[in-house]
Amino acid sequence: MPVFSEQSSVLNTSPALRYVYYGVIALVLSIIHRMFLDLISVAGVTPDLLLILTVWIGVKEGRAVGQFAGFGSGLLFDIISVDVLGTNALAKAIAGFIAGLFYTDDEREDRTGNFRFLLIVFLCALIHNLIYFFFYIRLTEMSFLDFFIKYGVASTLYTTVAAIFPMLYSSRKKRYDDRDF
Amino acid sequence: MRSFIEFVVRTKDYITLSALIVICFAMMTYGNVAQLGGFRTVVVGGIGWIQNVFSWVPNPVALKSENRALRELNLQLSTEAAKMRHAMLENEKLRKMLAFKEPTNTPIVPAEVVGKTTVQLRNFITINRGAKDGIKPGMVAKTDAGLVGTVVSASENFALIQLIIDRDARIAARIERTGIDGIVAWEGEENLIIKNIPKSYDVQAGDLLVTSNYSNKYPAGIPVGRVTEVRDEANSLFRRIIITPSVGFSSLEQLYVVLYIPNPERARLEQEMEARVMESIRARTTRRER
Repeated sequence: MPVFSEQSSVLNTSPALRYVYYGVIALVLSIIHRMFLDLISVAGVTPDLLLILTVWIGVKEGRAVGQFAGFGSGLLFDIISVDVLGTNALAKAIAGFIAGLFYTDDEREDRTGNFRFLLIVFLCALIHNLIYFFFYIRLTEMSFLDFFIKYGVASTLYTTVAAIFPMLYSSRKKRYDDRDF
Repeated sequence: MRSFIEFVVRTKDYITLSALIVICFAMMTYGNVAQLGGFRTVVVGGIGWIQNVFSWVPNPVALKSENRALRELNLQLSTEAAKMRHAMLENEKLRKMLAFKEPTNTPIVPAEVVGKTTVQLRNFITINRGAKDGIKPGMVAKTDAGLVGTVVSASENFALIQLIIDRDARIAARIERTGIDGIVAWEGEENLIIKNIPKSYDVQAGDLLVTSNYSNKYPAGIPVGRVTEVRDEANSLFRRIIITPSVGFSSLEQLYVVLYIPNPERARLEQEMEARVMESIRARTTRRER
Protein backbone atom coordinates (compact mmCIF):
# COMPACT_ATOMS: atom_id res chain seq x y z
CA MET A 1 0.00 0.00 0.00
CA PRO A 2 2.44 2.68 -1.11
CA VAL A 3 -0.22 5.43 -1.53
CA PHE A 4 -1.50 4.74 1.96
CA SER A 5 2.02 4.93 3.34
CA GLU A 6 2.88 8.13 1.44
CA GLN A 7 -0.28 9.80 2.69
CA SER A 8 0.44 8.66 6.25
CA SER A 9 3.99 9.92 6.14
CA VAL A 10 2.89 13.41 4.94
CA LEU A 11 0.37 13.56 7.77
CA ASN A 12 2.94 12.30 10.26
CA THR A 13 5.50 14.94 9.39
CA SER A 14 3.21 17.98 9.14
CA PRO A 15 1.15 18.65 12.28
CA ALA A 16 -0.67 21.62 10.65
CA LEU A 17 -1.85 19.40 7.81
CA ARG A 18 -2.87 16.77 10.33
CA TYR A 19 -5.01 19.29 12.25
CA VAL A 20 -6.71 20.42 9.04
CA TYR A 21 -7.35 16.74 8.30
CA TYR A 22 -8.94 16.31 11.76
CA GLY A 23 -11.06 19.43 11.18
CA VAL A 24 -12.38 18.09 7.88
CA ILE A 25 -13.17 14.72 9.48
CA ALA A 26 -15.01 16.51 12.32
CA LEU A 27 -17.09 18.44 9.80
CA VAL A 28 -17.95 15.29 7.83
CA LEU A 29 -18.80 13.37 11.01
CA SER A 30 -21.06 16.14 12.27
CA ILE A 31 -22.97 16.11 8.97
CA ILE A 32 -23.26 12.31 9.14
CA HIS A 33 -24.43 12.65 12.73
CA ARG A 34 -27.15 15.11 11.79
CA MET A 35 -28.32 13.22 8.72
CA PHE A 36 -27.90 9.49 9.00
CA LEU A 37 -27.54 8.49 12.65
CA ASP A 38 -31.29 8.44 13.06
CA LEU A 39 -31.27 5.26 10.96
CA ILE A 40 -29.23 3.41 13.58
CA SER A 41 -30.68 4.97 16.71
CA VAL A 42 -31.91 2.52 19.34
CA ALA A 43 -34.66 4.01 21.54
CA GLY A 44 -33.33 7.46 20.77
CA VAL A 45 -29.74 6.56 21.69
CA THR A 46 -27.05 7.14 19.07
CA PRO A 47 -23.28 6.69 19.14
CA ASP A 48 -21.31 9.92 19.56
CA LEU A 49 -19.01 9.97 16.53
CA LEU A 50 -17.40 13.30 17.42
CA LEU A 51 -16.51 11.96 20.85
CA ILE A 52 -14.77 8.98 19.25
CA LEU A 53 -12.81 11.41 17.06
CA THR A 54 -11.92 13.50 20.12
CA VAL A 55 -10.64 10.43 21.96
CA TRP A 56 -8.70 9.35 18.87
CA ILE A 57 -7.03 12.77 18.64
CA GLY A 58 -6.36 12.84 22.40
CA VAL A 59 -4.73 9.42 22.37
CA LYS A 60 -2.67 10.21 19.27
CA GLU A 61 -1.68 13.81 20.03
CA GLY A 62 -1.77 14.25 23.79
CA ARG A 63 -3.91 16.13 26.26
CA ALA A 64 -3.21 19.69 24.99
CA VAL A 65 -4.40 18.93 21.47
CA GLY A 66 -7.07 16.53 22.80
CA GLN A 67 -8.76 19.16 24.91
CA PHE A 68 -8.78 21.72 22.08
CA ALA A 69 -10.10 19.09 19.68
CA GLY A 70 -12.86 18.27 22.18
CA PHE A 71 -13.70 21.91 22.68
CA GLY A 72 -13.83 22.58 18.93
CA SER A 73 -15.85 19.51 18.02
CA GLY A 74 -18.19 20.11 20.97
CA LEU A 75 -18.79 23.67 19.87
CA LEU A 76 -19.48 22.49 16.33
CA PHE A 77 -21.91 19.94 17.75
CA ASP A 78 -23.66 22.58 19.88
CA ILE A 79 -24.15 24.76 16.84
CA ILE A 80 -25.47 22.10 14.49
CA SER A 81 -27.64 20.40 17.11
CA VAL A 82 -29.31 23.62 18.29
CA ASP A 83 -28.11 22.86 21.82
CA VAL A 84 -27.16 25.34 24.53
CA LEU A 85 -23.78 26.70 23.46
CA GLY A 86 -21.01 25.30 25.63
CA THR A 87 -22.58 22.08 27.00
CA ASN A 88 -21.06 19.69 24.48
CA ALA A 89 -17.91 21.82 24.27
CA LEU A 90 -17.36 21.44 28.03
CA ALA A 91 -18.05 17.69 28.11
CA LYS A 92 -15.93 16.96 25.06
CA ALA A 93 -13.02 19.20 26.13
CA ILE A 94 -12.77 17.26 29.40
CA ALA A 95 -13.13 13.94 27.55
CA GLY A 96 -10.33 15.00 25.15
CA PHE A 97 -8.11 15.91 28.06
CA ILE A 98 -8.70 12.56 29.76
CA ALA A 99 -8.00 10.73 26.49
CA GLY A 100 -4.75 12.69 26.25
CA LEU A 101 -3.63 11.24 29.58
CA PHE A 102 -3.23 7.91 27.76
CA TYR A 103 -0.89 9.42 25.16
CA THR A 104 2.60 7.95 24.89
CA ASP A 105 5.61 9.22 22.94
CA ASP A 106 6.47 5.76 21.73
CA GLU A 107 5.76 5.79 17.99
CA ARG A 108 6.05 2.02 17.77
CA GLU A 109 3.16 1.48 20.11
CA ASP A 110 -0.22 0.96 18.50
CA ARG A 111 -2.30 3.50 20.40
CA THR A 112 -5.64 3.17 18.63
CA GLY A 113 -5.61 -0.26 17.04
CA ASN A 114 -6.22 -2.42 20.08
CA PHE A 115 -8.81 -3.05 22.78
CA ARG A 116 -7.13 -0.52 25.05
CA PHE A 117 -8.55 2.16 22.75
CA LEU A 118 -12.07 0.82 23.36
CA LEU A 119 -11.53 0.99 27.11
CA ILE A 120 -10.36 4.61 26.78
CA VAL A 121 -13.42 5.43 24.66
CA PHE A 122 -15.64 3.78 27.26
CA LEU A 123 -14.07 5.76 30.10
CA CYS A 124 -14.17 9.07 28.22
CA ALA A 125 -17.75 8.48 27.03
CA LEU A 126 -18.85 7.70 30.58
CA ILE A 127 -17.30 10.91 31.93
CA HIS A 128 -18.56 12.89 28.92
CA ASN A 129 -22.11 11.64 29.46
CA LEU A 130 -21.95 12.28 33.21
CA ILE A 131 -21.09 15.92 32.54
CA TYR A 132 -23.43 16.32 29.58
CA PHE A 133 -26.45 14.74 31.25
CA PHE A 134 -25.85 16.80 34.38
CA PHE A 135 -26.64 19.86 32.27
CA TYR A 136 -29.12 17.99 30.11
CA ILE A 137 -31.76 17.13 32.65
CA ARG A 138 -33.58 19.50 34.87
CA LEU A 139 -32.83 18.24 38.34
CA THR A 140 -36.13 19.53 39.65
CA GLU A 141 -38.06 17.26 37.29
CA MET A 142 -36.31 13.90 37.22
CA SER A 143 -33.74 11.88 39.03
CA PHE A 144 -30.25 12.30 37.59
CA LEU A 145 -29.18 8.79 38.58
CA ASP A 146 -32.20 7.08 36.99
CA PHE A 147 -31.79 9.04 33.80
CA PHE A 148 -28.06 8.55 33.62
CA ILE A 149 -28.29 4.78 34.19
CA LYS A 150 -31.00 4.52 31.55
CA TYR A 151 -29.50 6.75 28.84
CA GLY A 152 -25.98 7.78 29.83
CA VAL A 153 -24.76 4.20 30.17
CA ALA A 154 -26.63 3.11 27.03
CA SER A 155 -25.08 5.94 25.04
CA THR A 156 -21.63 5.09 26.46
CA LEU A 157 -21.94 1.45 25.41
CA TYR A 158 -23.20 2.35 21.94
CA THR A 159 -20.33 4.82 21.44
CA THR A 160 -17.84 2.16 22.57
CA VAL A 161 -19.32 -0.34 20.12
CA ALA A 162 -19.06 2.22 17.30
CA ALA A 163 -15.40 2.81 18.24
CA ILE A 164 -14.66 -0.75 17.10
CA PHE A 165 -14.63 0.48 13.47
CA PRO A 166 -11.85 3.08 13.86
CA MET A 167 -9.98 0.57 16.03
CA LEU A 168 -10.10 -2.04 13.27
CA TYR A 169 -9.09 0.58 10.70
CA SER A 170 -6.13 1.61 12.80
CA SER A 171 -5.05 -1.95 13.46
CA ARG A 172 -5.22 -2.77 9.73
CA LYS A 173 -3.34 0.39 8.80
CA LYS A 174 -0.64 -0.42 11.32
CA ARG A 175 -0.28 -3.89 9.82
CA TYR A 176 0.13 -2.42 6.32
CA ASP A 177 2.65 0.15 7.55
CA ASP A 178 4.68 -2.55 9.34
CA ARG A 179 4.67 -4.67 6.19
CA ASP A 180 5.92 -1.75 4.01
CA PHE A 181 8.82 -0.75 6.21
CA MET B 1 9.51 34.67 39.13
CA ARG B 2 11.43 31.88 37.45
CA SER B 3 9.80 29.25 39.60
CA PHE B 4 6.40 30.76 38.74
CA ILE B 5 7.18 30.50 35.01
CA GLU B 6 8.34 26.93 35.51
CA PHE B 7 5.12 26.18 37.36
CA VAL B 8 3.06 27.67 34.51
CA VAL B 9 5.00 25.67 31.91
CA ARG B 10 4.64 22.49 33.95
CA THR B 11 0.91 22.91 34.43
CA LYS B 12 0.03 24.59 31.13
CA ASP B 13 -2.33 21.82 30.09
CA TYR B 14 -4.31 22.09 33.32
CA ILE B 15 -4.40 25.89 33.03
CA THR B 16 -5.65 25.61 29.44
CA LEU B 17 -8.30 23.11 30.48
CA SER B 18 -9.46 25.41 33.28
CA ALA B 19 -9.64 28.31 30.82
CA LEU B 20 -11.70 26.20 28.38
CA ILE B 21 -14.06 25.19 31.19
CA VAL B 22 -14.51 28.83 32.18
CA ILE B 23 -15.22 29.75 28.53
CA CYS B 24 -17.79 26.94 28.31
CA PHE B 25 -19.56 28.09 31.48
CA ALA B 26 -19.50 31.67 30.23
CA MET B 27 -21.08 30.55 26.96
CA MET B 28 -23.73 28.56 28.80
CA THR B 29 -24.53 31.46 31.10
CA TYR B 30 -24.20 34.52 28.91
CA GLY B 31 -24.15 33.06 25.40
CA ASN B 32 -26.72 34.74 23.21
CA VAL B 33 -28.08 31.95 21.07
CA ALA B 34 -29.93 34.49 18.93
CA GLN B 35 -26.60 35.80 17.63
CA LEU B 36 -26.05 32.41 16.04
CA GLY B 37 -29.42 32.53 14.34
CA GLY B 38 -27.96 33.48 10.97
CA PHE B 39 -25.29 30.80 11.05
CA ARG B 40 -27.78 28.16 12.18
CA THR B 41 -30.07 29.15 9.32
CA VAL B 42 -27.22 28.43 6.90
CA VAL B 43 -26.61 25.06 8.65
CA VAL B 44 -30.32 24.17 8.47
CA GLY B 45 -30.46 25.16 4.79
CA GLY B 46 -27.30 23.25 3.89
CA ILE B 47 -28.20 20.08 5.77
CA GLY B 48 -31.80 20.28 4.58
CA TRP B 49 -30.59 20.39 0.99
CA ILE B 50 -28.36 17.31 1.48
CA GLN B 51 -31.16 15.47 3.32
CA ASN B 52 -33.50 16.28 0.46
CA VAL B 53 -31.03 14.75 -2.01
CA PHE B 54 -30.89 11.55 0.07
CA SER B 55 -34.60 11.44 0.93
CA TRP B 56 -35.15 8.63 -1.60
CA VAL B 57 -33.26 6.23 0.70
CA PRO B 58 -36.09 4.12 2.19
CA ASN B 59 -36.33 3.29 5.87
CA PRO B 60 -37.98 -0.19 5.97
CA VAL B 61 -38.72 -0.01 9.71
CA ALA B 62 -40.53 3.30 9.25
CA LEU B 63 -42.45 2.00 6.23
CA LYS B 64 -43.68 -1.04 8.13
CA SER B 65 -44.86 0.94 11.13
CA GLU B 66 -46.39 3.56 8.83
CA ASN B 67 -48.38 0.86 7.06
CA ARG B 68 -49.68 -0.48 10.34
CA ALA B 69 -50.51 3.00 11.62
CA LEU B 70 -52.32 3.89 8.39
CA ARG B 71 -54.44 0.75 8.52
CA GLU B 72 -55.42 1.49 12.11
CA LEU B 73 -56.10 5.11 11.22
CA ASN B 74 -58.24 4.09 8.27
CA LEU B 75 -60.40 1.90 10.47
CA GLN B 76 -60.71 4.61 13.06
CA LEU B 77 -61.45 7.32 10.51
CA SER B 78 -64.17 5.41 8.72
CA THR B 79 -66.14 5.03 11.95
CA GLU B 80 -65.42 8.58 13.00
CA ALA B 81 -66.41 10.02 9.60
CA ALA B 82 -69.97 8.82 10.00
CA LYS B 83 -70.15 10.22 13.52
CA MET B 84 -68.70 13.52 12.36
CA ARG B 85 -71.14 13.97 9.52
CA HIS B 86 -73.94 13.66 11.99
CA ALA B 87 -72.19 15.96 14.50
CA MET B 88 -71.51 18.59 11.82
CA LEU B 89 -75.16 18.84 10.86
CA GLU B 90 -76.14 19.01 14.48
CA ASN B 91 -73.44 21.59 15.20
CA GLU B 92 -74.57 23.78 12.31
CA LYS B 93 -78.11 23.69 13.56
CA LEU B 94 -77.07 24.56 17.11
CA ARG B 95 -74.76 27.34 15.96
CA LYS B 96 -77.57 28.91 14.02
CA MET B 97 -79.75 28.66 17.08
CA LEU B 98 -77.10 30.33 19.26
CA ALA B 99 -75.98 32.77 16.50
CA PHE B 100 -72.32 31.69 16.93
CA LYS B 101 -69.62 33.01 14.64
CA GLU B 102 -67.56 30.53 12.61
CA PRO B 103 -64.22 29.85 14.26
CA THR B 104 -61.37 31.46 12.35
CA ASN B 105 -59.36 28.99 10.29
CA THR B 106 -55.63 29.46 10.74
CA PRO B 107 -53.83 28.90 7.40
CA ILE B 108 -51.65 25.82 7.18
CA VAL B 109 -48.78 24.82 4.91
CA PRO B 110 -48.38 21.14 3.96
CA ALA B 111 -44.81 19.87 4.11
CA GLU B 112 -42.83 16.69 3.66
CA VAL B 113 -40.24 15.39 6.08
CA VAL B 114 -36.89 15.21 4.30
CA GLY B 115 -34.69 14.33 7.26
CA LYS B 116 -34.75 13.15 10.82
CA THR B 117 -32.09 13.95 13.36
CA THR B 118 -31.51 12.35 16.73
CA VAL B 119 -28.80 14.16 18.61
CA GLN B 120 -28.17 12.90 22.13
CA LEU B 121 -31.84 12.24 22.82
CA ARG B 122 -32.92 15.45 21.14
CA ASN B 123 -35.20 14.85 18.23
CA PHE B 124 -35.59 17.07 15.19
CA ILE B 125 -36.97 16.75 11.70
CA THR B 126 -36.23 18.80 8.61
CA ILE B 127 -39.10 19.69 6.27
CA ASN B 128 -39.04 20.85 2.66
CA ARG B 129 -40.79 24.16 3.35
CA GLY B 130 -39.10 27.28 4.67
CA ALA B 131 -39.24 31.04 5.07
CA LYS B 132 -40.31 31.33 1.40
CA ASP B 133 -43.58 29.62 2.33
CA GLY B 134 -44.14 31.88 5.33
CA ILE B 135 -42.68 29.52 7.93
CA LYS B 136 -41.05 31.21 10.90
CA PRO B 137 -39.49 29.96 14.15
CA GLY B 138 -42.15 29.51 16.82
CA MET B 139 -44.81 28.10 14.48
CA VAL B 140 -46.43 24.79 15.28
CA ALA B 141 -46.35 21.60 13.21
CA LYS B 142 -49.12 19.01 13.36
CA THR B 143 -50.63 16.12 11.46
CA ASP B 144 -54.19 14.94 11.23
CA ALA B 145 -53.38 12.76 14.26
CA GLY B 146 -52.02 15.50 16.49
CA LEU B 147 -49.20 17.74 17.61
CA VAL B 148 -45.74 17.21 16.09
CA GLY B 149 -43.59 20.06 17.43
CA THR B 150 -42.37 23.60 16.96
CA VAL B 151 -40.31 25.22 14.23
CA VAL B 152 -36.96 26.23 15.75
CA SER B 153 -35.17 27.46 12.66
CA ALA B 154 -36.05 28.20 9.06
CA SER B 155 -33.96 28.84 5.99
CA GLU B 156 -35.30 29.91 2.59
CA ASN B 157 -36.46 26.42 1.54
CA PHE B 158 -36.20 24.26 4.67
CA ALA B 159 -37.21 24.38 8.31
CA LEU B 160 -36.08 22.50 11.39
CA ILE B 161 -38.78 21.25 13.74
CA GLN B 162 -38.15 20.28 17.34
CA LEU B 163 -40.45 17.35 18.08
CA ILE B 164 -42.54 17.10 21.24
CA ILE B 165 -40.45 14.04 22.12
CA ASP B 166 -37.53 16.29 23.03
CA ARG B 167 -36.07 17.18 26.39
CA ASP B 168 -36.85 20.89 25.93
CA ALA B 169 -40.46 20.42 24.89
CA ARG B 170 -43.04 21.41 27.50
CA ILE B 171 -46.70 21.37 26.48
CA ALA B 172 -49.54 22.88 28.47
CA ALA B 173 -52.20 20.23 27.95
CA ARG B 174 -55.71 19.47 29.14
CA ILE B 175 -57.41 16.13 29.63
CA GLU B 176 -60.37 16.49 27.32
CA ARG B 177 -62.82 14.42 29.37
CA THR B 178 -62.30 16.12 32.73
CA GLY B 179 -60.59 19.42 31.87
CA ILE B 180 -57.63 18.76 34.20
CA ASP B 181 -54.56 20.77 33.17
CA GLY B 182 -50.94 19.74 33.37
CA ILE B 183 -47.54 20.13 31.79
CA VAL B 184 -46.56 17.34 29.43
CA ALA B 185 -42.87 16.50 29.12
CA TRP B 186 -40.81 13.82 27.44
CA GLU B 187 -38.88 11.34 29.52
CA GLY B 188 -37.28 9.23 26.82
CA GLU B 189 -38.34 6.57 24.31
CA GLU B 190 -41.76 7.12 22.73
CA ASN B 191 -43.73 8.15 25.82
CA LEU B 192 -44.66 11.47 27.34
CA ILE B 193 -45.48 12.05 31.01
CA ILE B 194 -47.39 14.38 33.25
CA LYS B 195 -46.19 14.56 36.82
CA ASN B 196 -47.64 16.11 39.94
CA ILE B 197 -51.28 15.33 39.26
CA PRO B 198 -52.95 14.78 42.67
CA LYS B 199 -54.26 11.27 43.31
CA SER B 200 -57.74 12.66 43.93
CA TYR B 201 -58.04 13.87 40.30
CA ASP B 202 -59.97 11.78 37.83
CA VAL B 203 -57.57 10.49 35.18
CA GLN B 204 -58.07 7.18 33.39
CA ALA B 205 -56.23 5.18 30.79
CA GLY B 206 -57.61 6.09 27.37
CA ASP B 207 -58.22 9.78 28.17
CA LEU B 208 -57.31 12.12 25.32
CA LEU B 209 -54.97 15.06 25.96
CA VAL B 210 -55.24 18.21 23.88
CA THR B 211 -53.24 21.44 23.98
CA SER B 212 -54.64 23.78 26.58
CA ASN B 213 -55.94 27.33 26.30
CA TYR B 214 -53.25 28.29 28.81
CA SER B 215 -50.56 27.63 26.26
CA ASN B 216 -49.34 30.58 24.29
CA LYS B 217 -46.95 28.40 22.33
CA TYR B 218 -49.51 26.03 20.81
CA PRO B 219 -53.01 26.75 19.50
CA ALA B 220 -55.62 25.16 21.78
CA GLY B 221 -57.32 21.87 21.02
CA ILE B 222 -54.60 19.98 19.12
CA PRO B 223 -54.46 16.33 20.25
CA VAL B 224 -51.22 15.53 22.08
CA GLY B 225 -51.72 11.89 23.05
CA ARG B 226 -53.68 9.35 25.03
CA VAL B 227 -53.19 8.27 28.63
CA THR B 228 -51.90 4.71 28.63
CA GLU B 229 -50.99 4.26 32.27
CA VAL B 230 -51.74 5.99 35.56
CA ARG B 231 -49.16 5.22 38.24
CA ASP B 232 -49.52 6.12 41.90
CA GLU B 233 -46.14 7.29 43.16
CA ALA B 234 -45.11 5.69 46.45
CA ASN B 235 -45.10 7.97 49.51
CA SER B 236 -46.51 10.82 47.49
CA LEU B 237 -49.83 12.56 47.03
CA PHE B 238 -49.27 12.70 43.30
CA ARG B 239 -49.64 10.49 40.28
CA ARG B 240 -47.45 9.91 37.34
CA ILE B 241 -49.33 9.71 34.07
CA ILE B 242 -47.84 8.03 31.03
CA ILE B 243 -49.04 9.23 27.65
CA THR B 244 -48.60 7.76 24.18
CA PRO B 245 -48.26 10.57 21.61
CA SER B 246 -51.00 10.79 19.00
CA VAL B 247 -48.39 11.04 16.25
CA GLY B 248 -46.29 8.04 15.28
CA PHE B 249 -42.92 9.77 15.01
CA SER B 250 -41.11 6.78 13.55
CA SER B 251 -43.29 6.86 10.44
CA LEU B 252 -43.85 10.59 10.15
CA GLU B 253 -43.57 11.71 6.53
CA GLN B 254 -46.09 14.48 5.96
CA LEU B 255 -47.24 17.24 8.23
CA TYR B 256 -48.77 20.71 8.29
CA VAL B 257 -47.23 23.85 9.66
CA VAL B 258 -49.79 26.13 11.26
CA LEU B 259 -49.01 29.71 10.27
CA TYR B 260 -49.66 30.89 13.78
CA ILE B 261 -47.21 32.96 15.76
CA PRO B 262 -47.82 33.24 19.48
CA ASN B 263 -48.63 36.68 20.83
CA PRO B 264 -45.11 38.19 21.28
CA GLU B 265 -46.13 40.37 24.22
CA ARG B 266 -47.56 37.40 26.12
CA ALA B 267 -44.58 35.23 25.18
CA ARG B 268 -42.12 37.84 26.46
CA LEU B 269 -44.00 38.23 29.73
CA GLU B 270 -44.11 34.45 30.26
CA GLN B 271 -40.43 34.06 29.37
CA GLU B 272 -39.49 36.73 31.91
CA MET B 273 -41.50 34.96 34.58
CA GLU B 274 -40.00 31.58 33.69
CA ALA B 275 -36.48 33.06 33.86
CA ARG B 276 -37.25 34.52 37.29
CA VAL B 277 -38.57 31.17 38.57
CA MET B 278 -35.53 29.31 37.19
CA GLU B 279 -33.23 31.88 38.79
CA SER B 280 -34.86 31.39 42.20
CA ILE B 281 -34.65 27.57 41.84
CA ARG B 282 -30.96 27.88 40.93
CA ALA B 283 -30.31 30.19 43.91
CA ARG B 284 -32.12 27.77 46.23
CA THR B 285 -30.12 24.80 44.89
CA THR B 286 -26.85 26.71 45.33
CA ARG B 287 -27.80 27.65 48.91
CA ARG B 288 -28.69 24.02 49.67
CA GLU B 289 -25.39 22.79 48.25
CA ARG B 290 -23.49 25.24 50.45
